[in-house]
Amino acid sequence: MKIGVFICHCGENIGRTVDCPRVAKACEWLPGVDVSLDYKYMCSDPGQNMIKDEIRKRKLDAIVVGSCSPHMHEKTFRKAAVDAGINPFLVEIANLREHCSWVHDDIDSSTDKAIDLVRMAVEKVKRNVPLTTIEVPVTKRTLVIGGGIAGIQAALDVANAGYEVVLVEKEPSIGGHMSQLSETFPTLDCSQCILTPRMVEVYQHPRIKLMTYSEVEKVEGFIGNFTVTIRKKARHIDEDKCTGCGLCITKCPTKKKAFNSFEEDLAYRPAVYVPFPQAVPNIPVIDETICMYYKNGKCGMCVKVCGREAIDFHQQDKIVTEEIGAIIVATGYKLYKIDKKPDDSPIKGYGEYGYGKYKDVVDGLQFERIASASGPTSGEFKRPSDGKEPKKVVFIQCVGSRDESKGFSYCSKICCMYTAKHAMLYKHKVHDGEAYVFYMDIRSGGKMYDEFVRRAIEEDGVKYIRGRVSRIYEKDGKYIVRGEDTIAGMPVEIDADMVVLATAMIAQQDASELAQTIGIPYDKYGFYNEAHPKLRPIESTTGGVFLAGACQSPKDIPESVAMASAAAAKALVLFGSDKLEREPVVAYVNESLCAGCFYCKKVCPYGAVEVKEVKDRNGVVYKEVAYVNTGLCQGCGTCTATCPSKSVELAGFNNEEIFAQIAAL
Amino acid sequence: MEELRKHAKELLENKTVAAILGYVEVDPKRTRPAVITKPEDASKLVFNEYCLNNLAVYLTKARIKNIAKQNGAVMKLGIVAKPCDIHSVIALIQESQLKREDIHIIGMNCHGVVKDFGMEFSGETLASKCVPCESHKPLYHDIVLGEEKQTPSVSDEVLAKIQAIEKMTYEERFEYFKNEFDKCIKCYACRAACPLCYCQRCITDKTIPRWIESSPHSRGNFSWNVVRAFHLSGRCIGCGECERACPMDIPLSLLNRKMAETAKEAYAYVSGRSLETPTLVGSYDVKDSDELFM
Repeated sequence: MKIGVFICHCGENIGRTVDCPRVAKACEWLPGVDVSLDYKYMCSDPGQNMIKDEIRKRKLDAIVVGSCSPHMHEKTFRKAAVDAGINPFLVEIANLREHCSWVHDDIDSSTDKAIDLVRMAVEKVKRNVPLTTIEVPVTKRTLVIGGGIAGIQAALDVANAGYEVVLVEKEPSIGGHMSQLSETFPTLDCSQCILTPRMVEVYQHPRIKLMTYSEVEKVEGFIGNFTVTIRKKARHIDEDKCTGCGLCITKCPTKKKAFNSFEEDLAYRPAVYVPFPQAVPNIPVIDETICMYYKNGKCGMCVKVCGREAIDFHQQDKIVTEEIGAIIVATGYKLYKIDKKPDDSPIKGYGEYGYGKYKDVVDGLQFERIASASGPTSGEFKRPSDGKEPKKVVFIQCVGSRDESKGFSYCSKICCMYTAKHAMLYKHKVHDGEAYVFYMDIRSGGKMYDEFVRRAIEEDGVKYIRGRVSRIYEKDGKYIVRGEDTIAGMPVEIDADMVVLATAMIAQQDASELAQTIGIPYDKYGFYNEAHPKLRPIESTTGGVFLAGACQSPKDIPESVAMASAAAAKALVLFGSDKLEREPVVAYVNESLCAGCFYCKKVCPYGAVEVKEVKDRNGVVYKEVAYVNTGLCQGCGTCTATCPSKSVELAGFNNEEIFAQIAAL
Repeated sequence: MEELRKHAKELLENKTVAAILGYVEVDPKRTRPAVITKPEDASKLVFNEYCLNNLAVYLTKARIKNIAKQNGAVMKLGIVAKPCDIHSVIALIQESQLKREDIHIIGMNCHGVVKDFGMEFSGETLASKCVPCESHKPLYHDIVLGEEKQTPSVSDEVLAKIQAIEKMTYEERFEYFKNEFDKCIKCYACRAACPLCYCQRCITDKTIPRWIESSPHSRGNFSWNVVRAFHLSGRCIGCGECERACPMDIPLSLLNRKMAETAKEAYAYVSGRSLETPTLVGSYDVKDSDELFM
């Protein structure tokens, strides 16, 4: 076997700490190595041509490239090898950058290590087997999880490109947090006015299957071929019969009403309800926990008033399965609450701001509802405790955010902007009112963003105080806000009528559970991880699963929409071909040795291991063995590690190859 | 004893089972395993404090399985089993090696067995696995026979030894096990006696590549004995047959017992106790402790 070794300097990335010419020289003498060369940029055009020329000239059988991580350029070098006529799986990468030069500083010892790494790769490549890629079909349907603005945008983009979309929303209506907002920065246009037409478009789109009040329960399969199980929760109202007249809602006599979560608990709702009048679909839901029918079997007022006989108390949850090719996760965020948290929780509450016990200390979304024309106060500024118009409002930024002691060290990004907006909206309606903003820094990067904040300060007279608030307490019907003005260098005390906290944007409560259901990684805060922070910000590390909006990190509306369209584009790229090429790195079972303990089946995260019956010549089953469905196998190797008798092998990483690699060290 | 023989005879006469794995007497203080296929041989069966073998090991052997295959159909196999042996049967069912409906479990009430044949049964001669034993009644069974008697209570020497080893430094522990494993002659009797070592080709016998060194050197001695222990972690039910089979008296139950206790402490899991619980190896719960991971 003739092997070529090519050592890349990666500019100075490898060359600075590894003596590349010495590595190349040392590898010339390895058994089987025919040629060993080094070059400044092996991935560049001249570098690749060098590899191709050597393969052709010397009739090489396999190559080893000592370069960056295979994650980065394995594909590049495989392609060069294929161009020169050798199988792509006879290319091995020795990672001399991430595994060597970047983590060491002594040039002598890191050069020795580089030689070891190359030697290991040479021993492996000698035993590599030529493999052929696997082709799998693509289901050209997209699942969008989450019906906020990001989910709506992604669904519309994919559907408008001509492909079917299943949009799953947990709540009874789509719209998400954006539907709760009063006005949006930096233009102050009404949130509902720009959002609701999109919601209706989704509802009426012939290629969008909208499933509200539904949750994703299980995701099986892999890129292009997912099978998704969705639980459609019982609405107790027949969606086909209901016209959305709302008579059941107005007649519902439930005495003990529930907090209206759309109004951020500032209002109540009856047992049968739609979250808000512009809901899509405009079909109510019956809340079993407070409905009198479920308590004592009586009432049934809604049944009497519904002319369409749409009420069905006995409706059960429905389980629906969908065949899906791409998944766009757009599950959004929730707001941090300052109330007391359990002692063992990594997140802490704000005792200094009263743990949420003061009625007029509200959070950003509650203020949005108070400011909204469709809110509980019809857009008039009234404070929750006594309905009086607050004459002095204090806004506090970074409540939770950028505060390690409360459990979050990140910046929530949008609060600087929406606090300026809040203060502005307040000043526009309460002309004699005073608005104070406590801030740490004003972070208003973005088109027309800083101008917007300046407008709040300069035109609307909002008073900005740089400093943190140490305490809020109640005194004679006022809220005493005690803080520090770090620019003036003195303490301040403001007797406010109302306090608005810009609390941190945090991941949804069940974000990690959903991530585990789908099989995507998430960070310590529960935000979903992108595949690469710069070059692959839309993809998750799981093939065919894309991210959109605030489920990945705090984002404002334009960013969420941009990311949603990008995710849609990624899904469409996937649908651009009828077949997907997959690496043939899949597991296979040695059936004559398999004892059939099926631990591999238990540990396989992709459900790729099946039970196969082995029959004798009379057709009688004499044993059951494991069988790997290569269509489902993702080549993670968990089964090969688990198998007690090593009867499962992973193509491209089989026992012999790995052993030779270790033995070479 | 008479009811055991009567029951076995009925089973064979009614063709409920193809064969019964049981014990027959060699002398009053020694028994041996036997496969009874004829009703008239049922009278040879015995059950007493000298029934040391864990017969579950035979259930996965091809020769025994073939007895159950008659005229293209699978008949049941009967097994005379102590409560601890039944734990092995359960573990085998959990690991897809057996089907519950293919096994007729004749569960025997048990108050312990002797350390070795020929000994008079008493607290002093009680087998070490029986000292901490809590299951004197069969958990899963098709019939329960035998009288219930009190197990003699004696001090737990294995536990004391484990605690002594835990007090040692890592170097001392290594030295202790090095000396013990150095006795190993690689006869693999421990493997042959273990009901859960049912692999068709043990990883130790894999030669291309040879992951587990088999040299008579400390490396090879550690390789085998540590791999044996690892492959049984969370699975071993503690029947002690490996240690009894060992001709070199390597204290294998120290490792087995310690692993079982770790599994119990960390994951509240005891192997071979329930057909409903998923096996510890191969199941995952988000709430699982990750303390044991380095």
